[in-house]
Amino acid sequence: MTSRKPIPNIDPITFQVLWSRLIAVADEMAVALEKTAFSHVVRDNHDYACAVYDADGEMMAEATHCTPGQIGAMTRVMHQFLEVHPADSLSPGDVLITNDPWFGSGHTPDVFVASPAFLDGQLIGFAASSAHHVDIGGRLASPDTREVYEEGLIIPISKLFVAGEPNRDLFNIVERNVRMPDKVIGDLRAQVACNHVGGRRLGETMRERGLQSLTGLSSQIMAHSETSMRSAIAEVPDGVYAHDLDLGITDRSGNPLRIRLELEISGDRIHADFTGSSPQVDLPVNAVYNITYAYVVFGVKCALHPHIPNNVGCYRPFTVTAPEGTILNAVYPAPCMWRTDIVYHIAEAVFVALSRKLPDKVIAPCGTYPLWLSIFAGKMDDGAPFVQHFNAAGGQGAGHDRDGATTTVYPANLSNTPVELLEIESPLVCDQKFLVADSGGPGRFRGGLGQEVVLRNGGVHPIAGTIIGGRYDAGAPGLLGGRAGANGHVRVNDDAPFTGHREISLAPGDRLTLRYPGGGGFGDPTARDRAAVENDLKEGLVSETQAREAYGA
Amino acid sequence: MFRLGCDIGGTFTDFVLLDGETGDLQFFKVLTTLSDPSEAVDRGIAAIDERCPAFLGATEHVIHGTTLVINALIERTGARTALVTSKGFRDILAMRREARYDTYDITARYPVALVPRDLCFEVTERVYADGRVVQPLDADEGRRVLDALVEREIESLAVCFLHSYANPANERAFADLAARHCPDITLSLSSDVLPEIQEYPRTSTTVVNAFVKPLVGRYLRRLDDRLKNRSFERGLYLMLSGGGVISAETAGRYPVRLVESGPVGGALAAAHIGELADLPELLSFDMGGTTAKACHIRQGRLPITTEFEVDRVHRFKKGSGTPIAAPTVNVIEIGAGGGSIAQIDDMALVRVGPQSAGADPGPICYGLGGDRPTVTDADLVLGYLNPSFFLGGEMGLRQREAVEGIRRAVAEPLNLAIEQAAWGIHEVVNENMAGAARYHIAEHGGDAGAATMVAFGGAGPVHAVEVARKLGISSVLVPVGAGVFSALGFVVAPISYEVSRTHVAPLESMTEGVLEDMFRELEAEGMAVVRAAREGAAVVCSRALDMCYRGQGSNIRFDIGGGPGDRVPFDGIAGRFAEEYRARYGYAYDDLEPQLRTLRVIVSAASEQPSLDLKFAGRRGEARAARTGTRPAYAPDEAAFVEHDVYRLDLLGPDAGFEGPAIVEAPDSTLVIGPGAGAVTDAGGWIMVTVR
Repeated sequence: MTSRKPIPNIDPITFQVLWSRLIAVADEMAVALEKTAFSHVVRDNHDYACAVYDADGEMMAEATHCTPGQIGAMTRVMHQFLEVHPADSLSPGDVLITNDPWFGSGHTPDVFVASPAFLDGQLIGFAASSAHHVDIGGRLASPDTREVYEEGLIIPISKLFVAGEPNRDLFNIVERNVRMPDKVIGDLRAQVACNHVGGRRLGETMRERGLQSLTGLSSQIMAHSETSMRSAIAEVPDGVYAHDLDLGITDRSGNPLRIRLELEISGDRIHADFTGSSPQVDLPVNAVYNITYAYVVFGVKCALHPHIPNNVGCYRPFTVTAPEGTILNAVYPAPCMWRTDIVYHIAEAVFVALSRKLPDKVIAPCGTYPLWLSIFAGKMDDGAPFVQHFNAAGGQGAGHDRDGATTTVYPANLSNTPVELLEIESPLVCDQKFLVADSGGPGRFRGGLGQEVVLRNGGVHPIAGTIIGGRYDAGAPGLLGGRAGANGHVRVNDDAPFTGHREISLAPGDRLTLRYPGGGGFGDPTARDRAAVENDLKEGLVSETQAREAYGA
Repeated sequence: MFRLGCDIGGTFTDFVLLDGETGDLQFFKVLTTLSDPSEAVDRGIAAIDERCPAFLGATEHVIHGTTLVINALIERTGARTALVTSKGFRDILAMRREARYDTYDITARYPVALVPRDLCFEVTERVYADGRVVQPLDADEGRRVLDALVEREIESLAVCFLHSYANPANERAFADLAARHCPDITLSLSSDVLPEIQEYPRTSTTVVNAFVKPLVGRYLRRLDDRLKNRSFERGLYLMLSGGGVISAETAGRYPVRLVESGPVGGALAAAHIGELADLPELLSFDMGGTTAKACHIRQGRLPITTEFEVDRVHRFKKGSGTPIAAPTVNVIEIGAGGGSIAQIDDMALVRVGPQSAGADPGPICYGLGGDRPTVTDADLVLGYLNPSFFLGGEMGLRQREAVEGIRRAVAEPLNLAIEQAAWGIHEVVNENMAGAARYHIAEHGGDAGAATMVAFGGAGPVHAVEVARKLGISSVLVPVGAGVFSALGFVVAPISYEVSRTHVAPLESMTEGVLEDMFRELEAEGMAVVRAAREGAAVVCSRALDMCYRGQGSNIRFDIGGGPGDRVPFDGIAGRFAEEYRARYGYAYDDLEPQLRTLRVIVSAASEQPSLDLKFAGRRGEARAARTGTRPAYAPDEAAFVEHDVYRLDLLGPDAGFEGPAIVEAPDSTLVIGPGAGAVTDAGGWIMVTVR
């Protein structure tokens, strides 16, 4: 248990109640955003983050369900806003905006909007939200960009509203540069409305409690969280925990891309060093520093202290070095649309590195990194246009005491696309969607199973698609004696399987087979509980062959 | 004629007997008999009979709420169940929605499917989204599957084919085959149970139905036998999760609709009281021993959700359970009750609940062996509970032990005085409840400040005024009979049943005639169910639609009126949808295509509801006469104990007014009114508190 006493001017109960209240304010912002957002990305995929800040721009609390990529960026973006627009220059009704990948979360669709909150003419803090927009222009979701310019409009840090008046020029620029302007503008307005709810609630909370400012409360929350995070880190034996992994991606000259991570733990501090990782590439997979930093903290927090509410205090024990010009700190104008190809694996690198000393805190590599997503566009039989995302997940890696979750996304958190909705909203037909036997990496605890989906163009027009996936050459590795899960595999009809992201065209009747990889196993498979092997056999999750060859059954 | 409401809870089976002529209510309680809950019903009836001889002969309706279904799901004691799906889709249950319910927890576990994978079968058949049968059922293969089911000794079968909501032909063909081939297997077809789009919730709902169907059938027969033995031949009705009651026969066919049979009662009673008191916006707040429940009610309408979950891995984490998409009153549940345990967590914060000491061993102050401080212990230490008048004096509470427990577990680790620690527990649990309620109201597009709280449950009135203050609610209504309030809801529930069908189409492509035909068909279906429950009843149909803008994943549900008189005309639907959309989300779109998703009809027996005057015998005199003295209780704003006037609820007459600080004691609950708040009693027998 931590022993730090809260700052004396707030008693521990009031402190705790106020802290819960700030989280509730952020949660209420999330409801407002979901309720007012137009696009399915926000409404159905929950691909957003909401947070409240003190008057210095320090993040005090964040909504409970936010997407990991944006969570970390939210702690940093406010300072970047305030560098351009200092707090004392802001007026009530001002709203700031940016989607610059180098200030936000590393790709252009994530737009950050921040609003100062005032009470009786006094700046008391900020409410901010970020949301993944359905479109931001450029080569929509292209897996083949060479520069960020191809990835759509970049809005430098600007004012979206000035003292309550919309910045018409900026709205016009956005409107003229994106494919679905009504949805994009609608979502921007939803973000402003959500911030408004947050700012108003901050003021009400201060009134109710007779607070003059949020600063004391804020520093107490951060101190408390920092202490708690540090004591979790302090329990890890000091040392350097390293992992080097092959991302399964090659640059345009065929060189494999690698992440090299050294996690140095000394006392209650963590330093992550990515020196030795591959240089940045002219493929849309690069990570900017913000998101590299975010995923280091995310991975460590998942392993060591998952339940601490997220705020700046949790980040203070961390320092991250990623040399400029590498895939983990790419410099402008590197393309970065599909940074998930790289940053999801940061969690893997952190877990594998820590597993040597802390096997009970981590899971084996997942079949869910990198992100898998298919985007289809074309015409319905009656000629009406459609755009359809298809989400499905591979299997998670196993833990030290349990099998990996079957077909469950990580670290993002997208629900799958229901087959019945897919078939009603597009001419695609799903012929099969089933768990792939033997796809979970064998281990004392088995990796989660991946799945196979067969989609067919059931319409009369060709369908264009962008297929994002991975682990085509090698499955998610096992951990501590566990074996790898099954590979990913994608092909059209009986053509050669894909080796990377692809843009495709499906003629009527063409079939697309998507096989999502399984998770890695944990521990020696021959040590697996016999009853568990029997049950897997009975349920058809492993074949007789695998039971015999991997598990010795 | 009487109506008898009967609510089987985990500990007690509560009864409410309503005299339809006089509006008089009587309350009874017996211990629940877990092995065969119908036994407690029988015993309760015997006990009531002692007080009101031969009442059953004069009883028209017995309305029953049961935890049987929810318990069978939690304890996994349902039938040996199998699932048959379209070829290629046997893993719908195992895959869930493929999402996580906790952002950071990599050790999260997910609900185990009710049907193991080896009992999930496939048959060759296919219907497309537009209802076209592109592949009729392969009957030979179907028979082979049925053979396998018999061999595996399957008792109950769920059948869920893709797009069967659009065309049930293949599911029905399979059912015919099953009826001929293995008539002993109980069937549940997804096109009957829930003819709505989205394969996972529909399959999950159908499987739940199949899992509990044999069990519920046996139970209802047993109960019916017991009633018949007592010569009761009139209507036995079951309380549905959606807030209506229906015949035992229909309930036995669709038992998945009984999942929230009990908790709905409280919300119904609150809605009813709200209507009597003419309150447009309500928050029902029910705090018991283990959990608190809240429900936001507007214009007397209960909010209906089709995203209910049961058997959660983490009881209070959305997404960690088995989904049930049948219409269910949206009552949120929070892990905050009198028995919720207070402790210091690994971040040196006071955590209250969701872990509960329950009734056994219970709070420390019960003296039944509990050694961890709970909310009830804190309430006692703060002076809110009277140690010698708990349960009307039936149970003495041990103050000294409660103080010790709080000192040990909270005060010393945080270096707080006892009363600060006790207040901390009280305050933290209040903040938890207020936070959850605020979120629920926001999700529902309501305004907490405009709502009146209706507080009940054993611990509800103790915490209500403070929770209301946090929510900006200015009035709290406390009904008499707060402890058996749920059963009260049963006797005022209408006989009613909701039927639905998904029909996805742009509104523009519809014609009035086509829509009308589909609604008529649903009405006929619903009327048959209601008339079976109440022969010859005049019925009222009301229509609702689920709609969205094309491409959206989630729908909104809205009413379009009932009879030809008040119905929204066909060409008014788009406007009504836009209006509803605007009300919820702040704006509507005029450049996007409104799309129909699901048609719904709610059929109710025309109002024969008793008028519930809520008169309570023995309510005489003004406030002064009901004042039994004073006692010190904690006033947070002064951070000190101050004298509170103490009143006996049963001595408070109508139109009595009094000011806080005050405490009103009843055998089944205690109302705490802090300094600055005021209260008046109403002729109807409730207390209205005005929060400062």
